[in-house]
Amino acid sequence: MKAIQIKNVTKQYKDVIALDNVSFSFEYGKIYGFLGRNGAGKSTLINIIANRIFADSGEVLIDDIPAKENMKIHDKIFCMSEADLYDTNLKIKDLFKWTDRFYDDFDKEKAMKIANKFNLNINKKFKALSKGYQSIFKLTVALSLNVPYVIYDEPVLGLDANHRELFYDLLLKDYENSERTIIIATHLIEEVANIIEEVVLIDKGKVLLQNNVNSLLETGFSVSGLAHEVDAYCADKNVIGYDELSNLKIAYVLDEKTPLPKTANLSLSAMNLQKLFVKLTEKGDQ
Amino acid sequence: MKNLKSIIQYECMTSFKYIWIFYAIQYAIVGLITITIGLIMGTFEDVGTNCLEINTLIYVCVLGVLGFNEDFKMLIQNGFTRKYIYIATIAMFCFISGIMALVDTVVGNMMHLINNNYSSLYGALYGYDNLFMNWLWLFLFYVAFCSLLYLIVLVINRVGKNISIYLGVVFGGVILLIIALFRYVFSAELVRDIVEFLMQAMGFMTDGTINYIFPALTLFVIVAILGIGSYAVIRRTELK
Repeated sequence: MKAIQIKNVTKQYKDVIALDNVSFSFEYGKIYGFLGRNGAGKSTLINIIANRIFADSGEVLIDDIPAKENMKIHDKIFCMSEADLYDTNLKIKDLFKWTDRFYDDFDKEKAMKIANKFNLNINKKFKALSKGYQSIFKLTVALSLNVPYVIYDEPVLGLDANHRELFYDLLLKDYENSERTIIIATHLIEEVANIIEEVVLIDKGKVLLQNNVNSLLETGFSVSGLAHEVDAYCADKNVIGYDELSNLKIAYVLDEKTPLPKTANLSLSAMNLQKLFVKLTEKGDQ
Repeated sequence: MKNLKSIIQYECMTSFKYIWIFYAIQYAIVGLITITIGLIMGTFEDVGTNCLEINTLIYVCVLGVLGFNEDFKMLIQNGFTRKYIYIATIAMFCFISGIMALVDTVVGNMMHLINNNYSSLYGALYGYDNLFMNWLWLFLFYVAFCSLLYLIVLVINRVGKNISIYLGVVFGGVILLIIALFRYVFSAELVRDIVEFLMQAMGFMTDGTINYIFPALTLFVIVAILGIGSYAVIRRTELK
């Protein structure tokens, strides 16, 4: 199976369960949004996939190959980290040189072109770069690697609006040119909403939701009106949250839309991905 | 194999340039101190130093620490397994120790040849007869210290700061216990046998002759034990 398969992965830190028997797959050839609040378990799972930490139980398979301590997956996956793991004393051009030696599928010329587009000074040492340019270097490497699975962990951290736009533009062009799986772990949901095809939402170490973005947006809606009318309409629906003001109520629903009762004074609105995310994770708090 | 070659190259090449900076600084300081003291004393007869290899030893200890702290993060970011990282790190220790042992052997023997008052570390212990064994001994000696520091850093990283402190205290206690055993518990005969064994392990035979192979073998065994210990720890090491 061409996919990253996560099978019953559990990870515990002292008395905190970071991942609780998590199972799902990132299929090949799709762009995923891997979403979750701070401490939800996103980075823990990414680190397990990238063999940086170990799961207490369960396993990760990449194209049916176990990912744990296995050089066979070296040229299949790359993970751009939020944390600075590169040798900070090396110049950017040297880091490109070493990445080129480490990976068969690194396009050094492409990296130079991307660096040029971002005005990244390749003669500077990594530690001499601003936080934003350190992120730019890391995503330049990720964009220049032609591996089947690329994970971006908070890729636009510290980037200004222009650079963020340029990154998303390059990412989509790259995806158009060569099919692969791109996983974007981020808090900036609205920014990636137009890019991602699939969403995996994780909260408190459990997968809350995995679905196609379009079908999510089709089934996600809000209904507002008088509280008792809203409650009556939502009685048999999957309500993921409410907002209330006096006797008015808004219910956020993830279910099939049914016609509004003619006697009720209710209105339906579409729900965007960010609202859906907030309501789903709020539900987890309750 | 291409991956293994590239990671070994990375480890060796990024450490190599610092060797020459180290030697330049070392000899500049030795030269400066010699000239200064010589000018103040008015004579260069009693001015000098011995066992410059100790400085190299400190350098390789630093290398052992950095071998984990800096490179582990960089290499794990680039998708290498712990086994590859370990092999590359040990290869780097051997490469750097081999070069530095060669420089120290040549310089130590030349300095002794020019000025009889200078003693190299190996020369002071075993004499100046066998250049190859001098290099081999220094090489294994340096690798042993790299490996020791590497193991210590790996253990600290694995168990955390607090438990490391407790381990340090326990280790200190064990040393004191061993000293006490030697002084108050073991019979004089047993102590003599142990000291004799250790002396022989380092090549000093009971008949007063020197065996050049034994110290190399002893150091090799120490390196192997430390290496196995390091691998046992690194294979479970997680990125923090």
